[in-house]
Amino acid sequence: MQKPTLISNQSTAEHGDNLSSVYTNHLSRRDSLKLLAALAASAMLPALAGCEPTPVAKTASGTTSTEHWPELKLQPITAKGYGKDPNLIMPPEAPWPLTLTPAQLSLVALLSDIIVPQEGQSPSASAVQVPSVIDEWVSAPYPSQQRDRLTILSALAWLDDEATLRFSKPFTTLGTTQQLAIIDDIAYDNEQTPKQFQRIAKAFGRLRNLVLAAYFCTPEGIKDIGYLGNVPIAGAYPGPTPEAYSHLNKTLAELGLSDFAYPVS
Amino acid sequence: MNDFAYDVLVVGSGAGGAMAAYELTRQGHKVLLLEAGRNYDPKTETPMFRPNSAAPLMGTSTPDKDFGFYDSTVDGGWQVPNEPYTTAEGSDFLWWRARMLGGRTNHWGRYSLRFSEHDFKGKSRDGLGADWPFTYDDIAPWYDKTEALVGVCGTNTGLDDMPPSSEGVLQPPPPPRVPELLIAAAAKKHGIAAVPMHRAVLTKPLDNRAACFYATPCGYGCSIGAAFQTTTSLLPMAQATGNLQIITDAMVKTVTVDAQGKVTGISYIDKKTATEQQLSAKVVVLAASACESARILLNSKSASHPNGLANSSGQVGRNLMDSTGAGLSALVPALMDRPRYNEDGHTANHLFIPWWGHKAQANKELDFPRGYHFELGGRFGEPGAYVSGNLQGYGTSLKQQVRAHYGSYVSFALRGEMLPNEHCYMDIDPQVTDKWGIPVARFHWQWSKHELKQVEHGLKTAKAILETMGATVGELPAAEDAIRKGGEIIHEVGTTRMGSSSKDSVTNQWGQSWDCPNLFVMDGGVFASNPHKNCTLTIMTLAMRNSAWLAEQLTAGKL
Repeated sequence: MQKPTLISNQSTAEHGDNLSSVYTNHLSRRDSLKLLAALAASAMLPALAGCEPTPVAKTASGTTSTEHWPELKLQPITAKGYGKDPNLIMPPEAPWPLTLTPAQLSLVALLSDIIVPQEGQSPSASAVQVPSVIDEWVSAPYPSQQRDRLTILSALAWLDDEATLRFSKPFTTLGTTQQLAIIDDIAYDNEQTPKQFQRIAKAFGRLRNLVLAAYFCTPEGIKDIGYLGNVPIAGAYPGPTPEAYSHLNKTLAELGLSDFAYPVS
Repeated sequence: MNDFAYDVLVVGSGAGGAMAAYELTRQGHKVLLLEAGRNYDPKTETPMFRPNSAAPLMGTSTPDKDFGFYDSTVDGGWQVPNEPYTTAEGSDFLWWRARMLGGRTNHWGRYSLRFSEHDFKGKSRDGLGADWPFTYDDIAPWYDKTEALVGVCGTNTGLDDMPPSSEGVLQPPPPPRVPELLIAAAAKKHGIAAVPMHRAVLTKPLDNRAACFYATPCGYGCSIGAAFQTTTSLLPMAQATGNLQIITDAMVKTVTVDAQGKVTGISYIDKKTATEQQLSAKVVVLAASACESARILLNSKSASHPNGLANSSGQVGRNLMDSTGAGLSALVPALMDRPRYNEDGHTANHLFIPWWGHKAQANKELDFPRGYHFELGGRFGEPGAYVSGNLQGYGTSLKQQVRAHYGSYVSFALRGEMLPNEHCYMDIDPQVTDKWGIPVARFHWQWSKHELKQVEHGLKTAKAILETMGATVGELPAAEDAIRKGGEIIHEVGTTRMGSSSKDSVTNQWGQSWDCPNLFVMDGGVFASNPHKNCTLTIMTLAMRNSAWLAEQLTAGKL
């Protein structure tokens, strides 16, 4: 599968504070994972991080008051799945055709980096090919992915509609302040969420979860979240570290459970 | 196969069939084994160490791979291509199948708990269901032999739900993880013990199999043989005797009989050529899985066996049971932001909660007759296609929410005993055939109040323990909504049950059909009841014991 890679156009004069990026197909995602892993091992990773940390500005400029929703009529995905006996050692590189348009992919990349910006040693979502994973996901022929396809493509269309309503331009061409003004309205799904943002907040939440999942699956994300498994251990499984036991004992004490502690040798 | 003079035809290469082949060949009898699926070699096909990021869709479950991309199941899951099953109107039932050498042993949970005398004699105690035609003492030595051969880690807990293994049989269990230790303390406050789970996972090397190195989920299969599956143990061991030959892609259609109704062999479809083939044999052992074996018997009608083979009792296909299943999970705030360490372990729960209510049930303090256990979840698992937490916002504060929630959820999976009832059975669909022209199984299912009351009790208990850990659980679902579908726990048994009378059972205690002395069943179909403790260890133990008995009969020329 041809997987896109990120070309940042942050420095273009037209959109000075623009987070927008253009995605084109270069490295395969799995190739680039390998490359990133190799680069990480040689401590060159920070130099790769493409995006600056996202400045979070809060303005309520141009808030719309009316509810709108793009009622998309999507063609069903008719590609075949990977089947019931795929090669598990060498998974299919291109299990089905990707379907996001370049514009949709660029919007996904932009949103991915708002959701997961570069942070210290941890790269941004688009730097580890998260948008490609989203493309693979929404292009998959399975029922739950097709439901997500409708949700996510609707969210992308909603964002352009909203950007046009508020600022008379598509979302990716807005300045960061304007983009974040919209995102701030839809990124919180709670009792205070205004009625006109409730539906998009749920759709954005689905995209957010997929972006986070795709990010924390990567070698960089695994390092960030602190997953330490999937390594062979010679001899007995060691169990919790002294620090972990100490935290447990403190927790047991706080919950009044110290007297009931399971004996640990 | 012309030059291979076999005595016994075994149908199925999973827990029952492979154990039968192992025991019979070990004792010098030649066995021809048929497997409906393709050949499969865990040494070369298991995706060891493969990360979710290298799989399509982050490894998530799909209708092609119901338990995730890397699950070892080949050509199966809830549906097998071109081999449907049906459900009667108003019935929900799911049937998990695999079409591969080793069958479902390649991916099973490896939970290996002994049934007890209490479990074998339920009807004597409460009048419900059926007793087994032997006592615990009869089978205890065979549990020891099976556990030693298979390799089971765990401890003798002394609890009345867990009969002890003989000294030196069990391998040491891995130490518990932090969330399990917290659950254990909270449960103990309620008077409920959590103890090491017994699992068919090696913590010490055995034969040609390596000890677990505590990485790669067992459901992927295990290339080093630490997690038990027949393809890295019983089948190669049986082949090494020179007494076993295997035909894969062989879908058995019927057991054949002569004019007198005596079993003569089997008829199968060679899937590679789509042709029907006949094989004769002195003895036929069905171990195709409870429902597949019953399907073969019901499809094997003849003048002398008009209701299907071995079915003079009318019990073939009846008494279908699964385990009850329900789950409850919650965020435990006290586990948020806890110190990281490698919590993979042997990739399933190290501690579980065995059934603790024997005395309460004896005192009639409970409104349901049979017990259950809890399998415990909660650890720093490999990141996958979903991120937990009520996540809000974006950017660095969002990432911090994800890190804080990681490893802070715990879950209770209830697995309980159901009783057989007249509404739960399988028969042959009169209209539908599979790709090979074989009439398919049709399932009928209805939980009874016994199961619903049990699930209700389990959910309340899990909630009480969770709240003791400081979790907020909220309102519990109704038992009818919480209970999983029939078949969904993949412990379907009982369709060819054994008993002490030919009137109400299909086989005797040796798995020998009452109607045909040279026809045996050695899968979960023979279970007279379905205790809550996961069926595979007992399938293997019965298959070993009954194959040893069969070997004696063959040696003595009695069959």
